Amino acid sequence: MSRQRSMETILASEFVSIGELVRLTESRYSTLKFYTEEGMLSFEQAEENLTRKFNRQTTVARILLIKELKSNGLSIPQIKETLEMDK
Amino acid sequence: MTELTLTQQFTMIALNAQRSLEMTNAKIVALRCMAVAVILEVYLDSGFTQDKNKLVLKKDVLNHSHSIRYRETILQPLGHTIGDLSGWLKQASLLSKRKLIEFEHAISDSLKEMSLLEEIPHILGCDLYFHSAGVEIKGYRSHIQEYTMITEHIRAEILEDGTVTDETICMLWLLRESGCMHDFFSRNELEQVSARMYRLHQDNPLGKALYGIRIHRGIELAIKQFLRMKKVAVKTPVGSGLNFLFPILERSQSVFIDTEAMFSNSTKRLHDVRMRLESMDHAVKVLGDGTIPIIKIDNTVYEAIPYATYGRVPIHGVRLLPIHPS
Repeated sequence: MSRQRSMETILASEFVSIGELVRLTESRYSTLKFYTEEGMLSFEQAEENLTRKFNRQTTVARILLIKELKSNGLSIPQIKETLEMDK
Repeated sequence: MTELTLTQQFTMIALNAQRSLEMTNAKIVALRCMAVAVILEVYLDSGFTQDKNKLVLKKDVLNHSHSIRYRETILQPLGHTIGDLSGWLKQASLLSKRKLIEFEHAISDSLKEMSLLEEIPHILGCDLYFHSAGVEIKGYRSHIQEYTMITEHIRAEILEDGTVTDETICMLWLLRESGCMHDFFSRNELEQVSARMYRLHQDNPLGKALYGIRIHRGIELAIKQFLRMKKVAVKTPVGSGLNFLFPILERSQSVFIDTEAMFSNSTKRLHDVRMRLESMDHAVKVLGDGTIPIIKIDNTVYEAIPYATYGRVPIHGVRLLPIHPS
């Protein structure tokens, strides 16, 4: 049995899944998947076919930054550039 | 995000955009699956004990069910012992309409208390004929943000590699039994979901116990599916749907909104449609403009297709057709 984690537990965890990121950042799955595939969000994956794990604090901060840059009118390539400089 | 029970989460999906005052065919299907969700919720919370091959409801669950009223409305009429999981789920799905209505009120009240569900004028009330006749139809609207979070979380878990939680396993089964899969997954995604569900059926204990069980009633679901199928049966240059030919079959899927001016341009048309919808308390978001704008009304995305009806005088306007992931 693998139960869904409560928000309290998620907020206390170092790593979260993409589904939990959806809940934390109120973003769409397809959006987060796109960011991940574009290399804008880094993750750890022990083996292929296992859950991708994201560092909660840094990833949430990054998604919020992307949202802010998007609302300022930046395109995805521009956002990627900004994120590169931010590293 | 609010912590919701399995039943509350599924109710947010199942009751959204359903008519609140009438018992439609689609609502009966939804209510039966919501009733079954209560059994699954208790099952996940270890509310049953195994006695040989029967599941026995723990006495304390039944005694304390009055604290969660929606649970009480389902558990009280069912008693303690019915059979295995399949037996419990089937019995819950066979409850009388009177019991289902009682349950609907209990569960919708629990969500209304948290401001996650509200009753607003149904979108059908914006249709030319209903609007001009002053017919008031009420419908449910789930909290837009919360609804998106629930559905996107399910999508993320099943479409991603890795562990699938018990709640998502149950939600997928409930979506399958209520015939709602196409609302959330595109055709390509459905293939992935189907393969994943097959693997869960083979490897996961809960998937093994659940995915072989069928509770849907063929006739009810067939009517629901037919009303959906007729929408894609005809494709025209300006949209798709048998609704263009037989709008009377299911008006809720095919709303015609008249515009003020004849042959008005797309911007003006969109403005008129928006005004009508917003005057009826609907949340409108334009996702794409042009000749056929894409608009999100509450939790559903529609195409607003220019259209005209012909009686003594032609009336110009737009027909709203819901879009599902393709």
